[in-house]
Amino acid sequence: MKGNLQKEKTDEKLPEVTPREAYLALLNILEDVEEARLRAVEERNKTLAIITNFTDGLLFFDKENKLSLINPVAEKYLSVKGMEVIGKSLSDLVEFPRLKPIVGLLKKTTRIFRKEIKLEENLILEITTASVKRGEEELGILVVLHDITREKLIEKMKTDFVSLAAHQLRTPLSAIKWTLRMLLDGDLGKITKEQREFLEKTYNSNERMIGLINDLLNVTRIEEGRYLYKLTPVSFEDVVKEVIENYKDQIKKKKIKFKFIGFSRKVPKIKLDVEKIKLAISNFLDNAIRYTPERGKVIVSLQATDKEIRFSVEDSGIGVPKDQQNRLFTKFFRAANAIRTETEGSGLGLFISKNIIEAHGGKVGFKSEEGKGSTFYFTIPYKAKKRMKE
Amino acid sequence: MSNNAKKILLVEDEELIVNLLQRKLEAEGYEVFVARDGIEGLEKMKKTKPDLVLLDIIMPRMGGFEVMEAMKKDKGLRDIPVIVISNSGQPVELDRARQLGARDWLIKTEFDPKEVLAKVKKQIG
Repeated sequence: MKGNLQKEKTDEKLPEVTPREAYLALLNILEDVEEARLRAVEERNKTLAIITNFTDGLLFFDKENKLSLINPVAEKYLSVKGMEVIGKSLSDLVEFPRLKPIVGLLKKTTRIFRKEIKLEENLILEITTASVKRGEEELGILVVLHDITREKLIEKMKTDFVSLAAHQLRTPLSAIKWTLRMLLDGDLGKITKEQREFLEKTYNSNERMIGLINDLLNVTRIEEGRYLYKLTPVSFEDVVKEVIENYKDQIKKKKIKFKFIGFSRKVPKIKLDVEKIKLAISNFLDNAIRYTPERGKVIVSLQATDKEIRFSVEDSGIGVPKDQQNRLFTKFFRAANAIRTETEGSGLGLFISKNIIEAHGGKVGFKSEEGKGSTFYFTIPYKAKKRMKE
Repeated sequence: MSNNAKKILLVEDEELIVNLLQRKLEAEGYEVFVARDGIEGLEKMKKTKPDLVLLDIIMPRMGGFEVMEAMKKDKGLRDIPVIVISNSGQPVELDRARQLGARDWLIKTEFDPKEVLAKVKKQIG
């Protein structure tokens, strides 16, 4: 088709034009070109003004990893002048102390990321990178520096507040607990059957409140990054059995068919923060029992490979709806069917457990089908390479 | 109260806890003395020579850790067994109490007076 058209054009007879007409036409064209050029310059200036006045710091690295653009905000954050750094490659930029951590991040294989970097006490930046493309062609990488100092400060204030409030709440809650216990034990005189019933319910409510406060305190400790304490070598199977022992009554009460399958091979002792691991196991087991109807089944099994141990709890409970599965381990989240089954619950148990396991270098996960049941598991390596600060 | 009743000094600032524990312990035949802070606690310790001290950690004027430090330096008080009763059960604190010679530790929200009594009996019968 294209060829045909061209052929037609050349064959066509051109109209006759006078030199004056041609001159005027040329002037018109030149005017248009000039206008287009001015528009382009205007556009470029506008883009530059946006980049220069952008409230976030911006850096652009070209295909050869050379810095080709830096805006004033980025200059300020990184204490450099554009002239000193533009045109330099990543390896040259390491010389600038504040650029060093960023260069380090860019040198890694996964170059698209979002990270927090603390440059000084009062300057915490969130660094985001984006690959810049024109069509299929990759032009380079844009680095955005966003000041999150204030957000971090507010986050810390929130954590401090929760921690303080929780500590303060524990004092009156324990006084209430002790009073109710003594009333129930008859230490303060005889009580009627009806009084006993009310007091027992109050006692249980108070216990739930204490549990919630403890969960909140655990979360604040996780957020402050000081969580694991003493790692001592223990037999994992013994720890699991101890936790199961605490649930014997509940299992019996709900007539749950419970089974425990221990390790099928000899497993060495593992270094654990025993109290924390017990908490994680309790949370898993508690969920399985709580969300499994009467006469359902719960199976706890332990497996071991050469590298790690694996703990899993299988239940025939309500399961987790598919559309909510990816949010299950997030703070305060509770699945809709879980709320319907059991209105009480802080939504913190699995979040806490995940943090405990990951602090031990392990992983958590689950498989679940709504209405059929779930299997929750975690693994812990014998030797953790990278562990959270103790 | 018989003359050979064992003496317990309760150092605790929370009034309700004091009332409850005192009642529970006295019902078991112990003689109970009360101090509302660490300074008063040390004074009463010297005066009454208790068989056991139940010690809170966070108190006005002088806290439980300082009380234990002072006890360690005092020949007359050094050997009195201490059970810590605290609102918090942070492992760091537990370790510190153990280093200072505390015999036992209990967290108020996790225990109740009956269990306190059991721990007391374990120490002094």
